[in-house]
Amino acid sequence: MSLRVLGLNLIKTNRNLLQTAVKNNGAPNAHAVAMAPYATQVTVQATPAAVQKQKVSKAMKAYLERANEHDEFMKTQHLEFQIGKRHLANMMGADAETFTQQDIDEAINYLFPSGLFDKRARPSMRSPEEVFPARKAAEFDETGRPFHSMFYTGKPNYFQLLHDIVTETNKLNDLEERMLRRGNKPDENQKLEMAGSQLLRKEQLERVLVEHIADIEYQNFTSAMERLIISPYAYKSKAFIERFLKPLIDQSKQLEVPKPKIDEQGRQYVTTYECLRKTARADVTVRLPGTGKITINGQDISYFSLEECREQLLFPLSYSKMLGKVDVEANVEGGGPSGQAGAIRWGIAMSLRSFVDQEMIETMRLAGLLTRDYRRRERKKFGQEGARRKYTWKKR
Amino acid sequence: MKMLRKQFVNLSRVSTHLPRNVLASRAASRGAEMSTNVAPAETATAPPPVINEFRTGVTNPGEQSELHVAKFYTIPIEEKKQIFSGGGLPKQYEKQIKTFTEACLMVRSPALELLHYIKNADLTKPAVRYVLYGDNGVGKTLTMAHVLHYGALNDFLLVHVPWAPNWMKRPKEAANSASQEGFIDLPFDAAAWLIHFKAQNSKLLQRLQLKTSKEYVWSKRESTPAGATLIELVEHGIARIKYASETTAALISELKQLATAGQCKIMVAIDGYNAFFHPITRIFSDNKQRVSPDRITLTQPFLDITSYDWTNGVCVLSVDKIAMTEGYMSSYMPRYLLGKEGFEHLDPFVPVHVGNYTDKEFISYINYYLDRHWISKTQPGFEEQLKFLSNMNPYTLMRLVRGL
Amino acid sequence: MGFVPYTTLSSLRTLKCCRLMSMYPPHFAEPILKKDSEIINKKDVSHVPIKAAPNDLSDSIFYGVLKNKLLKYITKKGNGSLAKQLLTDTLETIKRTQIERLNLINAEKENVIIDTERILVNAIENSRPLLQLSEIKRGGVKYQVPIPLTEKKSYFLAMKWLLDAAREKDRKVHLPDKLAWEILDAAHGQGRVIKKKDDLHRQCESNRAYAHYRWS
Repeated sequence: MSLRVLGLNLIKTNRNLLQTAVKNNGAPNAHAVAMAPYATQVTVQATPAAVQKQKVSKAMKAYLERANEHDEFMKTQHLEFQIGKRHLANMMGADAETFTQQDIDEAINYLFPSGLFDKRARPSMRSPEEVFPARKAAEFDETGRPFHSMFYTGKPNYFQLLHDIVTETNKLNDLEERMLRRGNKPDENQKLEMAGSQLLRKEQLERVLVEHIADIEYQNFTSAMERLIISPYAYKSKAFIERFLKPLIDQSKQLEVPKPKIDEQGRQYVTTYECLRKTARADVTVRLPGTGKITINGQDISYFSLEECREQLLFPLSYSKMLGKVDVEANVEGGGPSGQAGAIRWGIAMSLRSFVDQEMIETMRLAGLLTRDYRRRERKKFGQEGARRKYTWKKR
Repeated sequence: MKMLRKQFVNLSRVSTHLPRNVLASRAASRGAEMSTNVAPAETATAPPPVINEFRTGVTNPGEQSELHVAKFYTIPIEEKKQIFSGGGLPKQYEKQIKTFTEACLMVRSPALELLHYIKNADLTKPAVRYVLYGDNGVGKTLTMAHVLHYGALNDFLLVHVPWAPNWMKRPKEAANSASQEGFIDLPFDAAAWLIHFKAQNSKLLQRLQLKTSKEYVWSKRESTPAGATLIELVEHGIARIKYASETTAALISELKQLATAGQCKIMVAIDGYNAFFHPITRIFSDNKQRVSPDRITLTQPFLDITSYDWTNGVCVLSVDKIAMTEGYMSSYMPRYLLGKEGFEHLDPFVPVHVGNYTDKEFISYINYYLDRHWISKTQPGFEEQLKFLSNMNPYTLMRLVRGL
Repeated sequence: MGFVPYTTLSSLRTLKCCRLMSMYPPHFAEPILKKDSEIINKKDVSHVPIKAAPNDLSDSIFYGVLKNKLLKYITKKGNGSLAKQLLTDTLETIKRTQIERLNLINAEKENVIIDTERILVNAIENSRPLLQLSEIKRGGVKYQVPIPLTEKKSYFLAMKWLLDAAREKDRKVHLPDKLAWEILDAAHGQGRVIKKKDDLHRQCESNRAYAHYRWS
């Protein structure tokens, strides 16, 4: 009985690993197969005879008990989750079989509305696999003999990965040399496009490896990967590389540009509410066919007596070449002159997006005009004179 | 090598010049009224008569018309020295004149409006009061300077107070008045004003040969007999600073009488007129109390000459926010700045609004700056940027372009 | 502007956060103005989030990188608007002096530079040191060893010297006037700051024998 459970457990906990491995390798090459299933199949095949014959050591026994317990626990959790889901589906009048996680979230949000600020503190129901992190399965057989040759490094998966990267790099280097001797050149069209993606971050890599790694080890990983990527034939091992890449979102397309509305004079206008900077808050309206008039709280630009603040308002307008073509109206409150000018600047820039082309939006984004400035005054700390400054040190 | 040395010589000359200029300008700012010869030294020879589209050759303000709006005309050096040596142009503008080696004024519509009124006024009727008003830095003082230039060319006796709040805010010296109990004299300021008056009007006074109507007894030994010329009266005030305030009062009452009698015509120009009606001054009396402006002996004559009970004269007054102190500066409208008392004193008057530049004036000014090498950054669209930043306010524009 | 051109690789690498306690995550990049944006590949930065433009950044005619830097060095106790006023006064004095010189001379008017920012840049470039003496202890003896300066440091030193020279002159003259003279002097390759730089270079030259102590 316990054997079967052990085998199941091993397969189950390694399932996500298997899945990722299979997903990434459309056509699994020999290498990937060797690397991905961290010693699971072997267990299943090897167990029946082995256990009956040999005596089980005390440590092994303890491990088996723990594994058993965990498995039982997960089973009950899973069962409860299924029941809960069924109940929820009934309550919402939906079909329990086709009730998805998204439906669950919506139902919970509807049935238990919560005003708690932190989203993680709000009630939720998710599958136990998500709630309880995956644990490593046994990496050794019943006799206590590890499956993996790097078991005693403590982080076999990580070091295996490094090993694989280097193997891959060496392969590419060999290839390059051969091609060079033959006088062939790498295919420029197939060159790897790295701009839109990023290496997995440390936490993500840890999740893939099911191992904790140190900062320096992550650095070693990144530098090894970079060495691989920099190779002119990197496209040959594209599949391998892409397993450790995360696509990035295109920043300029991230925010939706609002459609201008038409006011009673037939002019297009866009209003941006909640323009915040420091403690200032503004709402800014930009009207398109205009003469360059600017109104701030009913006053013209003389609302700001400081030259710097006026320059701030000028920045998005002149940068997008819309100076003198639009009218700006702003209501601003709170904060000081600099914060207010910053708030209005952001509002103008955000509103102007509706009146300029995509390329200009990107240029404005690169100039940092479309980024909300979240910087705030740093708090004073006790035992210190200010935010950073310490009291003058006195011996006595 | 030769060139380098030349440059060096030039440079050293410049740097030896600089401190002196700085000192001179500082002296001018502090004691402009005290010294008679702080007119800026014209470093270069007369500028070549270039006529650009932003300049006009009509140097007589009386002949300027709507055609010349937004164009610059040059005040000849001698006339500038005569009219503005004791103040009357803003300090920054004086500096600009020195750098640009020419005293240029832009013809603007408020000044033309005012000149039009003055030209068509019937001088036999009681004196008309014109009040210039407008926001900070729109050019009230320069409009007044423009009118003053007209007055000087058209045989007006100028009674010009360059900046009245100076007396209330930073007097040179305050002393108790000998003649009037509880009043305060500002002897140095009064003498400085007399010097300014003399500098502005000496030629005209000599030509007109105006005489005093009665005898003024200053003390047991000093007196000015009836029939003495006004120049003698003024010179007495300058020589005997102790009696300068009383001399001023006497001079102004004499002028009023003479004008009413038709012997001369008078242009009164007082910048920052509302300072006379400000609740308090910065002068302390003997019992350490702040004095109100009407307890200052200099106030009364200038209030007298701005009332309507005399003829053959015009009064050009300006009300200004910065003539007031903090807490009294929320609006630039005459009623607010003058207060009830002042408003009733002046009522009825002709208000003349001075505003920011129009587009045409703005472009003209930018062209002028470019012509004088004052703006060296001419990227495309720089006018638009300046327009946006300065809001077409003359003073702000001047302050903005100085670092360019 | 601390602009870092993005190669494909450095966009991959999560950039090290240069400032502790920064509100921005480390992969945020500094803003890139139009002038700079021509030298970078648009594709490389299209995925990089950008920090918000600071409130002293602008593309107006008043903006200059070096001017901004000098402004920061003039600032005392965070009073930036006073510093700006002082710098503008300085530039005004420079411009006045130059225009007065222009009016004085009759020929060769083109040689007189009136663009104040160009004068400022010239002055700073002229007073930039290349080497610095640093004290290194070898065998109980301290040696003055000439070491090369980074670009940033040399700009810093040039501006600091100009300011120091202006600040230590007699206190009756205002800083803008003094600074203006120093800048004009330095722009013409004379003055105390240039002398200071030359002295330093001469010392470095005479101590060249110790240069190897940098490594050994």
